[in-house]
Amino acid sequence: MSFKKFVKELGNSKVEGDLVKTIFISLLTSFAILAFLYFLRLSDIENFIPKYGFYLFFSILAYALIIPSVKHVRTYREFACMSGMMIGMTIGMIAGFLPGFFIASTNGMFIGSIFGMSTGIFFGAWNGKCCGIMGTMEGMMAGFMGGLMGAMTSVMMFNNNLKAAGVLVFLISGAILLGLNYMIYHETRESEAKNYDDAFFAVFWSILLTSITIFIMVAGPRSILFQ
Amino acid sequence: MKIKKTTFYFALTLMLIAVAGFFLLANQSKNTQDSGAIGNNNGNPQEVVLSMKNYNYYPNTITVKANQPVSISLDESVRGCYRGLVIRDFGISKYLKTPQDTIVFTPTKKGTFRFSCSMGMGTGTLIVK
Repeated sequence: MSFKKFVKELGNSKVEGDLVKTIFISLLTSFAILAFLYFLRLSDIENFIPKYGFYLFFSILAYALIIPSVKHVRTYREFACMSGMMIGMTIGMIAGFLPGFFIASTNGMFIGSIFGMSTGIFFGAWNGKCCGIMGTMEGMMAGFMGGLMGAMTSVMMFNNNLKAAGVLVFLISGAILLGLNYMIYHETRESEAKNYDDAFFAVFWSILLTSITIFIMVAGPRSILFQ
Repeated sequence: MKIKKTTFYFALTLMLIAVAGFFLLANQSKNTQDSGAIGNNNGNPQEVVLSMKNYNYYPNTITVKANQPVSISLDESVRGCYRGLVIRDFGISKYLKTPQDTIVFTPTKKGTFRFSCSMGMGTGTLIVK
């Protein structure tokens, strides 16, 4: 049950093989909605790409990592308490930290932490419930903490290589989510898949998250530093 | 040669990231703001001493004249990260360890600019007329 075998399964089994496809669908949907909105309205905003392009790009990449992980958990539905708590905690933390970080980079700490906490708590609790109330609570707490921490970190780094920190934070979160997917694969080899979400799942969440992110970055409230 | 489905999606994903990255990461705003003629002391500098009140700089709105040197210092009431003063639009970031340390610069453009502590917690407004 090595990591090598897991990587091989990405090309073979139906569930793990779907991960790369879901990442692709999520990216395609998010970039398509961004391109659509850009040609519809956003191109009228002065300096839209230089101002928001970097943070939107990494927000979309972040969603393309979070959504397949959520889908992977939903495929098996039930986990032991220890695994379920780890799932809730990891998804809650990353789904809170990354959106919080990137929104706070353009709008400040208040709206960054509100959005980060909302996504973190929602995804954390939703995925943590695979093991019952313990995982749900763990997911909520991690989402709460991740949302606040992501926004706070970005505001604190505002005058000190924020973009480089954004890349690093994204890469580390990506590695952690890869570890989570390996853990799910490791824990579920004996189990049967209980639920297959189709491509609509990734399309729906990508459109929703990307649209909200664009809306907040462009029209959301800003702290005094960003006015 | 048959290409595996996952390899195909993986390659498409990388291509998508590369193309989107090219459009979104190009033309990033560069910090090309003139940092002002620091140390240019032709004429008397406009002296500003900031202190701390209600967990923020006081006064937190400073009005100065353009193209004349400005000297900013922080008195002993200013503590912690608030001693690192940042005015992004003029490319200034300096830790003023003692009340005798100063930031001297010449604002070369008119307008309203923000200044803050190094962690963005304390903020204020610099009006250049």
